[in-house]
Amino acid sequence: MKKVLLAPLDPVHDNAVKLLKRRLSEAGYDAVAMPPGTTAEEVIEKALQEKPVAILISRTLGYKVGEILGHLVDLAEAAGLRETTRLGVGGMALTQEAGAELGFDACFVGELKMPEILAFLEGKPVEAARLEVTAARAKPQVTEGFTYRFNDSKIEALLDTITAQALHWAADKTSAGIERAKVRAEMIAEGVGRRDSEPTPTRQALLERYISLCDSEIQAFYREGRLPSGVRWLEKSEIENMPDFSRPHPDFGSLRHGDQKTLFFSQYGTGCPVMDVMHIKTMEAWGIDGVLHFDPSWGAQREGLIEGYLTHEHDGTILTLENLSFIHQYFEPATLWNVRGHRGLNTPETQVLGRAAGADLFKINIPYGATGGGTDPERLTADGIYSVMLASQYGIPFDIPGNDELSGVPPHKTFAGILVMMMLGLKLGARPIPKPLLCYSPYMTISGQMDDNMVDMNVAKLLVWKQILDTPVWPGEPVGFMTHSSDRVQSAMATASHAALASAVGVTAATIASSDEAYSKGPISVPARVDTLRAVKDRLRFDGSLKLTPSARQQDLMAQIQAGITEVLEQAAVRGDFVASIYEGVFGSQDDGLYPGRTGRGTVIRRA
Amino acid sequence: MKASDRIVDAIDLETYFYCESEEEARGLAEQLTAELGLPHGDIVFLEHRGWGARVRLRAYMHHPGDHYRWMERKEGQA
Repeated sequence: MKKVLLAPLDPVHDNAVKLLKRRLSEAGYDAVAMPPGTTAEEVIEKALQEKPVAILISRTLGYKVGEILGHLVDLAEAAGLRETTRLGVGGMALTQEAGAELGFDACFVGELKMPEILAFLEGKPVEAARLEVTAARAKPQVTEGFTYRFNDSKIEALLDTITAQALHWAADKTSAGIERAKVRAEMIAEGVGRRDSEPTPTRQALLERYISLCDSEIQAFYREGRLPSGVRWLEKSEIENMPDFSRPHPDFGSLRHGDQKTLFFSQYGTGCPVMDVMHIKTMEAWGIDGVLHFDPSWGAQREGLIEGYLTHEHDGTILTLENLSFIHQYFEPATLWNVRGHRGLNTPETQVLGRAAGADLFKINIPYGATGGGTDPERLTADGIYSVMLASQYGIPFDIPGNDELSGVPPHKTFAGILVMMMLGLKLGARPIPKPLLCYSPYMTISGQMDDNMVDMNVAKLLVWKQILDTPVWPGEPVGFMTHSSDRVQSAMATASHAALASAVGVTAATIASSDEAYSKGPISVPARVDTLRAVKDRLRFDGSLKLTPSARQQDLMAQIQAGITEVLEQAAVRGDFVASIYEGVFGSQDDGLYPGRTGRGTVIRRA
Repeated sequence: MKASDRIVDAIDLETYFYCESEEEARGLAEQLTAELGLPHGDIVFLEHRGWGARVRLRAYMHHPGDHYRWMERKEGQA
């Protein structure tokens, strides 16, 4: 058994030594620990007696740290220990650079990472151990292991009726959005999908067809090179001078603690692809599992998308194949990527571009996009169903955000709409993911259902899904929406509380905000992202493997939601027209604060 | 009276540096406090991960026991 000498060169702090002694013993080492207050001379004397393969020094206090540790290294040299015994150091007072400068063989900073310690003790490069951990992390599969079998046969039957009618209705419908998606897919397949593609006759012919399907502002971009207001080209130097994110780095770890399973996602869309990359790389470094691309709202209201490397100083990053590919090339291999396209006139084409750029997940919700999202219900039903077909064809799961609740709609109506989307997805062979809103929403404020606490209703909104079908559940979007204030501490804590609740319930994933979520006068800042990620990680550490068992009150709320969903679906089934049901407010009415969208009205075409 | 005179004790500066190491971040933090003219700037918190560092810098405008400029009466005040 290899012997390791552990010594706190510190007057009082020896917790790290005690922890390391336990972990090394579990790993099969004979760990000898010295008490706090040990001097450098005593360490060397003990090492000469015990003949360990390594001495690991812990130092918490910064006072005279260089002097004390340097003295120990000198003594080890003088005693001839360096030939047989490796010297390692760690603790709050150290940095990698300082440890190396003092002459230690390795320096361990931050959280205890046993693979690194064990590599050091076995004489292997510590850096390699760090990188092995990074390389070993696989990209998670959000929908893996779920059967999508229904536990509520009444809801299943109602959904079958509603979606059969919707699919029948859509079968002979198309739109400029669907036709543009087909053209864009062909351009990509032909290798002429980029602005800098060779101007071959194929590209020119396809582009002409595409332009003919766009509105005048987008046509002006292609024909006259006119950019939308406030938009500029990303300069070549900006693209070429990006930082080197490919350099090896230690494993960043996740936000989770122990056996926790929930994946955490965050949205980005600063308006600039370069800034997006910095935000994403920072979020990865602080433990995010995945990110969601948000585009500008005007992109949803125009017929057609522009192309090229483009930036602007407004919310949402312009959706082009170039921008998406540029951003995605910098991702860590395990980072999941969702490209949003659920609400506008370019929903089908967004799926085409997202897939071409490497997206792992899509976002499609017809009832929400056709109301809160502002697109005409008929148009988004045609485009949305086509988009779900694309998601199925590409084998890319799609999530269904329930953010119409933010307008004041009760959860059971929002959930009924999500369930229709799920059944459409399942019938078309796709893998849908419901995204219940987890926050103190306007409906909750008005109805008083969260007057006492924010736990009961949120738990009910998460657990009711398991009673209906076996599905992943991904609360968002982001959790704590409208519960945040512009104070960073309150905001980070609100997110962390919601994230911890979601984790304790055992959901598959959750979307979290930054502590700038409620700040509306400018873009989210990088520090605001880090603060929330730190808060979530600490809160998850606090909860550990605690699991939440639903109380009687929560079960009662679940039953109410389930009954409400059934009632809404019964109305939609009796109405016998999914599009009309949205117009008429079955999934959220004007009294609830939801109005049918107007963008794209009258643009659905019946195919010959 | 300057606005900074009305700061009860400390001013904190929250930011994020693009930098390669914690050492570099510390150097940048010290440089920034000097550039901004913050007296006796200190690093309250610094964490480097990957491509940059989250930093909180602090400068005390009034230490306990100082003469507190925020207690001085404005002209015309009783």
